[in-house]
Amino acid sequence: MQVHINQKLLGANELVAKENRKRMAEKGVYLLNLMSSPGAGKTTVLEKTLPLLKERIKVAVIEGDIATVRDAERIAALSVPVVQINTHGACHLDATMIQAVLDKFDLDNLDLLIVENVGNLVCPAEFDLGEAAKVVLLSTTEGNDKIPKYPLMFHEADGLLINKIDLLPFTDFSLEEVAKDLQKINAHLPTFPLSARTGEGMEAWIHWLLQKMQEGRERP
Amino acid sequence: MHEMALMESLVSVLREEAEKNDIKEIKKVKMTVGTLTHALPSALQFAFTVLRESTPFAPLATLEIETVSAQAKCLACAQTFDVSDEYLFTCPHCQAFTIKIIAGRELKIDYFEGE
Repeated sequence: MQVHINQKLLGANELVAKENRKRMAEKGVYLLNLMSSPGAGKTTVLEKTLPLLKERIKVAVIEGDIATVRDAERIAALSVPVVQINTHGACHLDATMIQAVLDKFDLDNLDLLIVENVGNLVCPAEFDLGEAAKVVLLSTTEGNDKIPKYPLMFHEADGLLINKIDLLPFTDFSLEEVAKDLQKINAHLPTFPLSARTGEGMEAWIHWLLQKMQEGRERP
Repeated sequence: MHEMALMESLVSVLREEAEKNDIKEIKKVKMTVGTLTHALPSALQFAFTVLRESTPFAPLATLEIETVSAQAKCLACAQTFDVSDEYLFTCPHCQAFTIKIIAGRELKIDYFEGE
């Protein structure tokens, strides 16, 4: 017997993502999915971002890693509420993992929940978490060919951070090439070159993020 | 990279569907995979051979994968085109950058066969 089901493989994930999105909207929490390759500097960018955000809004973090709680410890050191998810080998977070930890936060007293996804440019693009926005982080040491190599991730992004621009003179990374590639993949992608190490460019990115959150509140 | 996770969702969907349709043993599964998902057919096949050892799969159940290449529609000139590496997401007809992906993101189970 042949049974036609025509069912999406990730249909279950999409349903849970929808629930997460609805819950966040009800609670007025902006859910941000931060993605990058391993070592691009997601945690370091957060370490610099969070103290600046904390002055203005209530923020918390979900740390996704294959193993260890090291990143969560770095965030907790900033007195920001943080929950670590260990995926035990899985290369991405999914909506169910997020749903399972949402109760650990005081959602009524929260404006922004940042999810630091597992370092990977391929798989996280497939798994909707229920986020309001996807931000991709690229670092100058990775080279700018990451954009044409992983077009889906950059096509779906709502914002792009280019970290480690203090190292630009020592790499072959070209901001012009990035702009050219983005023209073909996501022409109007807001892009923020910055250095989490020196603090350069941080204000522009934070300003944009706060504005996005404001827009999200006005047009949920 | 996430093929094992994808196959695990496939197995859980099929387990439920097999029960619903009173099928004790699944012999064949047909799925569609878009190239933009970066899910490699060979890795999917490998994951399937690991997972088919559990019920309700026949020990030698087969997986047929239909690959769908990426296609986009230009929002400026309304023409559809194949997304190639060279063009990425640029319309080859009018060079516009505002495009919508219409194929290539598929990841679905079309049907399964069993008794």
